[in-house]
Amino acid sequence: MCPQLCYRCTSTLKAASIFLLLVNQTHGQDASPMTRAGEITVERHRKQRELAAETNSKWEDRFIYVRESRLIERFTAGIAGFRVKLGGLATNGGFAAGPEYLRTDFGDGLMTFRASAQASLRKFQKYDLEIGMPRIAGRWLSWNLHAAHHNYPQLQSYGPGQGSVKTGRSDFRLEDTAIDTTLAFHPLRRMTVAGQLGYLQNNVGPGTSKRFISADEQFAEATTPGISHQADFVRYGSFVQYDYRDRPGGARSGGMYYAQWGRYVDQTRGAFSHHRVDIEAQQFIPLINARRVIALRARTSLTDADSGNRVPFYLQPVVGGSDSVRGYRAYRFYGDQSLLMTAEYRYEIFSGLDMAMFADAGKVTDRRRDINLRDLESSVGFGFRFNVRNNVFLRVDTAFSHEGFQVWFKFNNVFASGPVKTSSSQGEF
Amino acid sequence: MPKLLLPAMLISWAANSPVAAETPTFRPDDPLWVMPSPLPVSNAGLRKIGDVYDLFYNELGKPGDSQPLRGQPILARGVNTLGDVPDGEWYVNRHYRHRLSTTELAQGPVGAPPSRAEKWIVVAAKNEGVTPGFVIADATGRRFVLKFDPVSYPELATAADVISSRFFHAIGYHVPANHIVYFKREDLVLGSDVRFSDPKGRKRSMTRQDLQDVLDRVHKAPDGQYRAVASLYLTGQPIGPRRWHGTRRDDPNDTVPHEHRRDLRGMRVFASWLGHDDSRSINSLDMVVDEGVPHVRHYLIDFGSTLGSASYGPNSPRSGHVPLFSWKPAAREFLTFGLYVPSWSLAKYPSYTSVGRFEHARFDPERWVPEYRNPAFENMLPDDAFWAAKQVGAFTDEDIRAIVRTGQLSDAQAEKWIVQCLIHRRDKIVRAYAPKVLPLDNFRVEEGRLQFDLVGSGILESPRYAVRWFRGRAGEQPRSVNDGVGTELPLRYDDLGADELLIAHFYSGDQRTVRVYLRLQPGSAQVIGAERTWATSVNSEQRSHIAGSITNR
Repeated sequence: MCPQLCYRCTSTLKAASIFLLLVNQTHGQDASPMTRAGEITVERHRKQRELAAETNSKWEDRFIYVRESRLIERFTAGIAGFRVKLGGLATNGGFAAGPEYLRTDFGDGLMTFRASAQASLRKFQKYDLEIGMPRIAGRWLSWNLHAAHHNYPQLQSYGPGQGSVKTGRSDFRLEDTAIDTTLAFHPLRRMTVAGQLGYLQNNVGPGTSKRFISADEQFAEATTPGISHQADFVRYGSFVQYDYRDRPGGARSGGMYYAQWGRYVDQTRGAFSHHRVDIEAQQFIPLINARRVIALRARTSLTDADSGNRVPFYLQPVVGGSDSVRGYRAYRFYGDQSLLMTAEYRYEIFSGLDMAMFADAGKVTDRRRDINLRDLESSVGFGFRFNVRNNVFLRVDTAFSHEGFQVWFKFNNVFASGPVKTSSSQGEF
Repeated sequence: MPKLLLPAMLISWAANSPVAAETPTFRPDDPLWVMPSPLPVSNAGLRKIGDVYDLFYNELGKPGDSQPLRGQPILARGVNTLGDVPDGEWYVNRHYRHRLSTTELAQGPVGAPPSRAEKWIVVAAKNEGVTPGFVIADATGRRFVLKFDPVSYPELATAADVISSRFFHAIGYHVPANHIVYFKREDLVLGSDVRFSDPKGRKRSMTRQDLQDVLDRVHKAPDGQYRAVASLYLTGQPIGPRRWHGTRRDDPNDTVPHEHRRDLRGMRVFASWLGHDDSRSINSLDMVVDEGVPHVRHYLIDFGSTLGSASYGPNSPRSGHVPLFSWKPAAREFLTFGLYVPSWSLAKYPSYTSVGRFEHARFDPERWVPEYRNPAFENMLPDDAFWAAKQVGAFTDEDIRAIVRTGQLSDAQAEKWIVQCLIHRRDKIVRAYAPKVLPLDNFRVEEGRLQFDLVGSGILESPRYAVRWFRGRAGEQPRSVNDGVGTELPLRYDDLGADELLIAHFYSGDQRTVRVYLRLQPGSAQVIGAERTWATSVNSEQRSHIAGSITNR
């Protein structure tokens, strides 16, 4: 017997005791502690006595529930076609929401149907109905019918032209009802050629804001055509569009170009008939593996009234706002012709967030020959673009001009515009 | 056998170097190459992982044990006395230890492609993941998940999925059998009452139009054929993904915290090699398999986001260079208004739509990162990295070509590019990690000499080292064996006392050493253990890889 418990003795005793323990517990399994395999088995048995159910934290279970039950998809998709639609009204209308009924599965997906009603905190209202056939003859043709009624009680007007002043803000009510149909031909995957036909009813009235004077009290028919006399229009036109952006929701390369012509025929007094042409080019130049992007946009809207006719102010091109010259308030400048140019330098902060430095410039004029690069209203600023897989879902832009600064929170892409397919007043509102 | 270099300086240094550490205790079955039979798993239930939660939890919660900033590091566990991972339910030694032929490498895991004897029956739709897909049953009743390429990037995700699954299998992980398949719409029939969650989240029976809608979202060849990955359903009962930290509480065999498993720490190296920054928990799956005893087997799944692919398109150039979010790079970009240009963003990628953003020039294995924090990857130590790097280095150029060929890329140049990238990335990995320790491995006794392999031979310069011999018992300080220099065994069985071991101590001239333990028996000698030390970059203190490697705890 070892007089003192030396290292070897203690090890042996320890091993023997574990062995006896295992003999009792493992009922003959190969768990000799004298072997490496035995050591591992001992440890497994130890854990076996402490087994517990594998669970998640409450928060993780909530995340899993939201994902698996597809709450977001179901919320956006709605129940039996019904869902809540948020936003989408004119700028400054305030938070807007309302029910929408959407079906995309009629005729095995050949026909879509959508109807919605929305109201905002500032009592802006919009009701619309849309029927579409996105795929006719394979991918070659598509057809769309859109009827809409707007009632916007507080749209801004600062008076005609670029000489208008910020302090001249007034407001007016615009009520319109439009029904338009568009038949589009897609000769190439990225190309659309379309014809349009529609009817537009307008009613302009006093604004309801208590902070600003009503436009009809501030401006006369002579300077602001249509402020006193309303008109209904038959309108028709066409457009051609070529879009090869890599991701329309957050392009890093490619471009989008369109040209649109529209003819408005006054059915009421024969005083506001005119032509309108919109041309826009967007180009996205990727740098260093598209981690930097220079985004460029140029757009001009040109109108040409028939002899003895004028373009009503609510159908005039406008400049200023979240998608235009961002350092100015929305609808800041009205004119018969407009020019808008935007350049953005975007760079990635991290996955999911880009930052942008931008400069906007634009102008409105009465005469087409004044569409040039002189006397431009301009602004500069910076912004953040939050995206999921390169699709922008939120942008926050801060822009500075000589009229102060503007901060815009928008759930869209700044270059999201395209040809006007169906809208009341050429998409300006 | 690499040439033994014995410069006078090394001999002198080695002769005077003390061997401070005690001789560890070895067991009769060391080194253990196969894990013991598992205990039965009876109540392991399905536990899911929320991918968004997992991101925030790992980034903000910092789960799992981390390496201490100072002092002794936490060594990897679940390894044998040689520092290798025994065969088990996490890992099986394959190409490094038992060289596979190019045919075996290309074949991958057991499981033939779906039978074409009859039409495939669509039995479920795949809702998870970023690419559309569904589940089919073939004529033999086997089920496969069909996954597709994005419309504008034919072959991108499918090739990556098949190629990377072959690599991970050859390395030793459990993966499903993935095969490239081609079929036409008429090769599919819709099963009866297939439950389906439509894009709006509504659960209903799948219609033919739903089937067509899925196919409309994927690439279709001009001849009307669809290309997909057919991933054989894993056998057993799924119980959800494994985490990168802790252990499963309902699995008695899961005793080593995952962040300390060598096979998971070392996976960082494999993931960097293959561009698998999407190596998140949700891309793994634990299955209860019943092979006599029901137990858990741990699989890696979904390799579509590898080799420059992000499954839905090419991966971001950030991939592998910076995580999804990191304060420093974000602040640098923000404060410099994007004028600071990180070097990774200057990487040049060829314009192969089937490859995505995969390259080798800017690849830095030591700075490679996954999408977000991974506790096991962060805990990787030089010996973990060495374990992985030696396996990467075991793939010859021809091995790599054989596996890449299984991606069936129609563009030979694209295939060549992937091969070229993997070869260059392999070499960078070996150069980065093998010299962190003394890169000697696979010790054995042949003809009275201690033989070994030089890891990275042909890539690395031969290291300078010397060897000195000791003898010792467990728990005792080793004693020098006079004249024991060189790889010839200086003593025979009869010269050693009872339970005494022969110890070869390899020195490199810096803190990198390997101690190799030999048990002598009449007429033979067996290598039963190896310990490595390396220099830390922090304070140049020697860290000893003590025989903690021997225990499973």
